[in-house]
Amino acid sequence: MIDFLQNTLDGLALGASYALLALGFTLIFGVLRRANLAYGPAIMFGCYCATWAYLKTGLGLLALALIAMVGSMLAGVYVERLCFAPHRKGAAAAAMVASFALWMQFEELATLALPRHLYAFPALYEGGPLSLGRLGLRIESLVMLVAAILVGTALWGILYRSRFGTAVRAVIDSPAAAELSGINVSAVSLRVFALASAIGGLTGFLIVSGNEQVTPMLGMWSTLKGMLAMMLGGLGSLPGAIAGGVALGLIEAHSQWYLGPQLRDFIAYLLLFILLAFRPPWMNTRSAY
Amino acid sequence: MDEYAIGVLTNIGLFSFVALSAWLLLVAGELSFGQQAFFGVGAYAAGICTTMLGWPLPLAALAAMALGAAAAALVGLPTLRLRGLYFAMATLAAAEMLRILFELFHWQIALGDDRIGPDGTQGFRGIRWMFERGIEPLDFLAIVWILLVGVVVIFLRIENSRLGATVRALGHDPELARSAGIDVDRLKLGVVAAGGALAALGGALFAHHNTYIEPRNFDIMLGVHSLAYGLIGGLGTVFGPLLGVALDIGVLEATRSLQGYRMIVFGGLVAVLLVFRPRGLLDERAVHWIKSRL
Repeated sequence: MIDFLQNTLDGLALGASYALLALGFTLIFGVLRRANLAYGPAIMFGCYCATWAYLKTGLGLLALALIAMVGSMLAGVYVERLCFAPHRKGAAAAAMVASFALWMQFEELATLALPRHLYAFPALYEGGPLSLGRLGLRIESLVMLVAAILVGTALWGILYRSRFGTAVRAVIDSPAAAELSGINVSAVSLRVFALASAIGGLTGFLIVSGNEQVTPMLGMWSTLKGMLAMMLGGLGSLPGAIAGGVALGLIEAHSQWYLGPQLRDFIAYLLLFILLAFRPPWMNTRSAY
Repeated sequence: MDEYAIGVLTNIGLFSFVALSAWLLLVAGELSFGQQAFFGVGAYAAGICTTMLGWPLPLAALAAMALGAAAAALVGLPTLRLRGLYFAMATLAAAEMLRILFELFHWQIALGDDRIGPDGTQGFRGIRWMFERGIEPLDFLAIVWILLVGVVVIFLRIENSRLGATVRALGHDPELARSAGIDVDRLKLGVVAAGGALAALGGALFAHHNTYIEPRNFDIMLGVHSLAYGLIGGLGTVFGPLLGVALDIGVLEATRSLQGYRMIVFGGLVAVLLVFRPRGLLDERAVHWIKSRL
């Protein structure tokens, strides 16, 4: 029983990071109806900027978090302008392959700047885990959970309580109608990319400072986990993205405990495949790339 | 020809098979992130057939193709109605599952003093059929390219047939194709199975060229590369994916130009190219223009 509770707690913390990644993915997906394969690599790029700054100057955590966010944001804006802005009408496959091409760029840039496979990253928190009775909760996990709740709330505020949010929701609903009512769809798309990538940069920073290391694999990992969580949550709704992320975290934590790491990934993919094949009612059925 | 050139040309040929299989699905209107898995199925199947069962390579390659087609059909059947990103994600999920199964796959037999066969993440070494038969790299290069030319000829014949027009109609608009009386589900399943067989043939040859395969060879990177080759080279003709592979492996890797910056330059060029030619260099219009001048 205690194992089950501990796994659930760990799964929730893992799920919080997946939920954050899925939120960024879903924002981009909602506005463009396109999957941005370079989302994870842009996050990785931001984290590499932070690592580089840390190695050169030994900056503090707060400054590193800021650098990771700004780096990811710049990378995200670059991806939007080169891969998605030119392909807003049609050519979804081209947009996706172009974002993959930029993924290759980020990966090579990162390995050129910092050629070793693995770099240490300053720890978010040096002390041991918090004990709740017989359960343990890492401070890093707690920070991730709080961050997920804060970002989710802030995002809700932006989308439902601001002029920009109204424009974003109008574009999500129908880009053509939004354009006709005077919304600059291209500018909205660019800003959504910047916002989503900044969230990604923050998530990436929390992940690497929690793990105390950074590798180029972070890019592919973030893209795969974010897309998986987004699809599990039904594709295209923000609450769904959070639910998908938490569900993925819980499934992974439990299956890792009972079945080991290889079957953990297998089960996550199997679940996605079954969901796609049977398309339960909460899955978005609008055609999409 | 020096050894290096032979190696590069062989690799271009080998990866053309999997690029062609991704291109075939693109022409039929679907993005697959999963063709690498069938390449892997072919590699493992053919490797097992020649080293562990003692079959000759041609027979092993045929078995690999059959297994590749069956695996692809198995993935295709429950996902026939999916389109766009849904289909892409379903194929990605299936391919990753297959890769994990390769990681869990242990089946070794004693052969002389050695144990031979797939050994999970340690890979599958000693696929030495070519060496034992004394087939030189140049001969192998010829085998690969003869098979590739055969595939291209078949594609060219299909392109000008009713079947080719039907597949392009499916890729253009499946609803329209359905209303024109095309059995869309059956056609799509056929395309998926053919793509699986084609990728598996490439995999069978790849395993015998490398003599060593491991699950990591068949990860998502290969899948997205194969997809990109078709889109870079162009969707208008069967030569498109071959051009894509030749540009990536041939020009950039072989010339070793831009050492260290290759992916930065190549990635940027691909993104810019797709802005101007979203269906690749040899898209339908370019192909039409060339044909009208021949």
